Amino acid sequence: MKMEFTLCFVSREAIKEDDDGLLESNVAEIVARAKRKRAALKATGAIQLGMMRHLYVIVDASECMFLQDLKPTRFLCVLKLLEMFVHEFFDLNPISQLGILTTKMKRSEQVTALAGNQKKHIEALQQMKDTPCDGEPSLQNSLERAMNGLKNMPAHSSREVLVLFGSLTTCDPGDIQKTIKSLKENNIRVSIIGLAAEVRICREIAKRTGGTYNVLLDDHHLKELILNQVQPPAVAGSMEASLVKMGFPGGKPSSNDGASDSAADHAPAYCLCHIENETSCLMGNNSGYNCPQCGSRYCELPVECKQCGLTLVSAPHLARSYHHLFPIKPFIERAKVPETTYCFACAKPFDESDLNVYECETCNQIVCLDCDLFIREILHTCPGCASDPITAQMKTN
Amino acid sequence: MLELKHALDAKGHCLLEMPSGTGKTTTLLSLIVAYMKAHPLDLTKLVYCSRTVPEIEKVMEELRKLMNYYEKELGMEQNILGLALSSRKNLCIHPSVSKEREGKVVDGRCYGLTASFVRARHGGDDSVPVCNFYEGFDAHGKEFPLPPGVYNLDDLKEYGQAKGWCPYFLARYTITHANIVVYSYHYLLDPKIAEVVSKEISKSSVVVFDEAHNIDNVCIDSMSVKITKRLLDKCSNSIQILETTISNMKENDNRRLEREYQRLVEGLRDATIARETDMALVNPVLPSEILEEAVPGTIRTAEHFVAFLKRVVEYIKTRLRVQHVVQESPAGFLRDIHTKVCVDRKPLRFTAERLASLIRTLEISDLTDFSPLVTVSHFATLVSTYTKGFTIIIEPFEDRAPTVSNPILYFSCLDSSIAIKPVFNRFQTVVITSGTLSPLDMYPKILDFHPVIMTSFTMTLARPCILPMIVSKGNDQVAMSSRYETREDTAVIRNYGNLLVEVAAAVPDGIVCFFTSYLYLETIVSSWYDQGIIDQLQRHKLLFIETQDAAETSLALINYIKACDNGRGAVLLSVARGKVSEGIDFDHHLGRAVLMFGIPYVYTQSRILRARLEYLRDQFQIRENDFLTFDAMRHAAQCLGRCMRGKTDYGIMVLADKRFSRADKRSKLPKWIQEHLKDTNCNLSTEECVQISKRWLRQMAQPFSREDQLGISLLTLEQLQSEDMQKKIQQRAQAA
Repeated sequence: MKMEFTLCFVSREAIKEDDDGLLESNVAEIVARAKRKRAALKATGAIQLGMMRHLYVIVDASECMFLQDLKPTRFLCVLKLLEMFVHEFFDLNPISQLGILTTKMKRSEQVTALAGNQKKHIEALQQMKDTPCDGEPSLQNSLERAMNGLKNMPAHSSREVLVLFGSLTTCDPGDIQKTIKSLKENNIRVSIIGLAAEVRICREIAKRTGGTYNVLLDDHHLKELILNQVQPPAVAGSMEASLVKMGFPGGKPSSNDGASDSAADHAPAYCLCHIENETSCLMGNNSGYNCPQCGSRYCELPVECKQCGLTLVSAPHLARSYHHLFPIKPFIERAKVPETTYCFACAKPFDESDLNVYECETCNQIVCLDCDLFIREILHTCPGCASDPITAQMKTN
Repeated sequence: MLELKHALDAKGHCLLEMPSGTGKTTTLLSLIVAYMKAHPLDLTKLVYCSRTVPEIEKVMEELRKLMNYYEKELGMEQNILGLALSSRKNLCIHPSVSKEREGKVVDGRCYGLTASFVRARHGGDDSVPVCNFYEGFDAHGKEFPLPPGVYNLDDLKEYGQAKGWCPYFLARYTITHANIVVYSYHYLLDPKIAEVVSKEISKSSVVVFDEAHNIDNVCIDSMSVKITKRLLDKCSNSIQILETTISNMKENDNRRLEREYQRLVEGLRDATIARETDMALVNPVLPSEILEEAVPGTIRTAEHFVAFLKRVVEYIKTRLRVQHVVQESPAGFLRDIHTKVCVDRKPLRFTAERLASLIRTLEISDLTDFSPLVTVSHFATLVSTYTKGFTIIIEPFEDRAPTVSNPILYFSCLDSSIAIKPVFNRFQTVVITSGTLSPLDMYPKILDFHPVIMTSFTMTLARPCILPMIVSKGNDQVAMSSRYETREDTAVIRNYGNLLVEVAAAVPDGIVCFFTSYLYLETIVSSWYDQGIIDQLQRHKLLFIETQDAAETSLALINYIKACDNGRGAVLLSVARGKVSEGIDFDHHLGRAVLMFGIPYVYTQSRILRARLEYLRDQFQIRENDFLTFDAMRHAAQCLGRCMRGKTDYGIMVLADKRFSRADKRSKLPKWIQEHLKDTNCNLSTEECVQISKRWLRQMAQPFSREDQLGISLLTLEQLQSEDMQKKIQQRAQAA
């Protein structure tokens, strides 16, 4: 029994209206608050993050994806954003794998299998642009398919599904509740981004499998929502930690290295990632990366070796995933103080619209909401601490 | 709450409109219970009347939560007894009787096991069956009152099962000293039931009628009688049974009949005494003046009375043999019956009482067969008692099938204040509340009472969670309306269809549509089928249709819910004033949108309605049109309110008729809907409507948590006690 019934005394002043007498600004505020909350939530405590991710992206390719409320059409907009997502995803999660499925005509089709090669995915996405969208989607079929692919992945990696769902209905052959149950049993996390409106079954799937469910407001919001999925999720419960074998291909050939056959190493060769294409690039002596285990050559990292299956990464990639493990402490939200008149990070003067400012715990610098989010999501380091010689020194030690 | 307190202080009646899902029940319960604790002398009892059994159960749950809170906060047991009462059918625990499906049969069999003479016979002869549970209750139950607590129907059954007492009689007995009683409003409004159940409820009680937007119709129904030919045939049979029983008894046990005669000579003196000492609720069927008289000599002996009944029944039979519609006043009817079969007004008045007495004397245990006869006797009593506010209409055939002869006599009550008058007179505070009572000023007029408080509350919301829109034209600019002249127009029907298809494509999960009548629903669906609209619709969602068959409808509902639950989405086509529009909630995903096709006016050609309209005009100066609009709009609002069941819920409300945008219709919607109905959202076309809803649905789908509501529509204890809020409350209190 909370004091809920007292609400009849609260007057309507509490609801703010903007100039048109609409309440939208109110909603925008709620969105902003949710944004910050999410960021703060992510940053708290030492959580174990699944750095090795296995993710299936399910793209709705049903009739309703031809609607033009996202420009040029929903489908093209989503594919474009997905390209960006795939790129960012491998950038931030170099040792993860990704696969793409579509669903249309009440069926589900695999576009790419789980693999670590981003080029292939992006190519597939570009080809998909010409495929027609037709019929109704089936959530159950596509989830089952993703589950079959993810079920046998090792226990130390995370299993995830991201659904981009434009339709408001799903046409399923059986009881979807059973599918949800087995998804949960297999520890598969399903996140859904809705393109039209809140569909109850989607919310339920996301809630029960521990994922997120969001509905976009416009294309910018969609981009933000998709890119939110780039961050690795916290590991639920105790996932077993294990050692993963990785290869660090040397960029420059060195004659002293006796590990691999140097003659083959230095000879001009086709790169393996393009070998199937006609436009495969011939690489010279000094470019490309050789797998330290089997010697296959690749033009880009990170990649999974086609010959021996070894994950090939470079040290900067690993360093980039590193910040997931040690996020910066969340900034403290406080009411605006009159003496600080501008944001430390972007030097923008505060005005009435900034109700709250954010303070770093260690360097006590004050930043605005936008910078707070920018620091947290992109920069991953506090400009105040970095510019202060003492704290910066301490950090490197 | 403030308004309610005013009403309680003033010991007057009040009329409150509060949107559903905003804690109406909790507010009422908590304030009244607190008041009861603070002023135990002024206020002794709360009688909470609701509409259906599930609603009763919901109230009990709220009450239980409240009591648990009291217990937690005060750390001791609360000395408050609350219980729910329902029919025997819902409370019976007798192994075989409780298996019966029909309420009437359960009542009859229960009476056959528990009537005093049956039990007396059982005393002499063990083979006569009695109900063990009733025996147990009678032997011990009255000495040990029910311990304080909250008992819903299941709790009562369990308690009864454990103790071996009949839960129904236990509950009825306990009503007299329980603090909170929750039951259906028939127990208070229907004079026949109120007489038995509610007459001992003390004067200093508060009566709450929840979901009371239809209360005038309930009042009218409880006082109206419908007699068909079949019913009269059954009456003749029962009269024959009576005759044979009487002659049997004459041979065996004449003494008992004589004793009855003596009692009748003494008159209904007991009842008079009871009324003088203010013990009982006044029974409107039994007006005060007849209590002072003895039962007239002509019907005092059993044979004479039976002969008298026979004459009455035969007379009604002849009256039913008409070829055209007859409408007459009760006075005209009385004169006619006097000239034709020499039946006076006075004995007619006593028919109901006399019949009850006879059945008691004759020790007839199976009451089920006599219900037609009882109906006729009620009719006789009512027609001779009231000359005003009633009318008699005899129709030789139904409007739908004018060739089939099916004569029906309607004895129709026109004045809803007659049935509810004793309630208003007796109890110090009567609270009438519902989510949709607008326009409020109509109720005091038609129920003939003077409320001290009459308020409509709005919702305080953190986000605009309802989106009412008036759609007046299709994409081709043809006006949409269910007006009689245009309702067959294919362009209008097609536009309605397109509206539904487009809304179905934009709105997730469940959509509920309301039509003005079953007939209209059928014609529209069949022409949609021809136009291919049904096919288009089924590409987006499954389609379910409410029919007049209750079993079919509930099956459709189950599947509708299933389709919404597993994401397929569904559309339910139903009828305003039907079962779906009254008792069933479509919360959250079950009702993301409600479409109202046309204005649900009542069938204006009905003679009963016309008689009532005339009466209202003459007696209360209510214009016909005002009442019709009032009635239509309250039903429309009721339909719209189906999708909104709480603050976290959201829903679209589409009013698809040009006429809704007129001021006289719009201003009759409840305040909480009007508040969100902006001028820009009136007079839309289909396309505009869909665009607005799409954008709105996206906004509503954004994460919405408890924290967002805090400070706006939900207050923590600290916020409540903060100075700002206290000031605001003070201001409100002074302003009121």
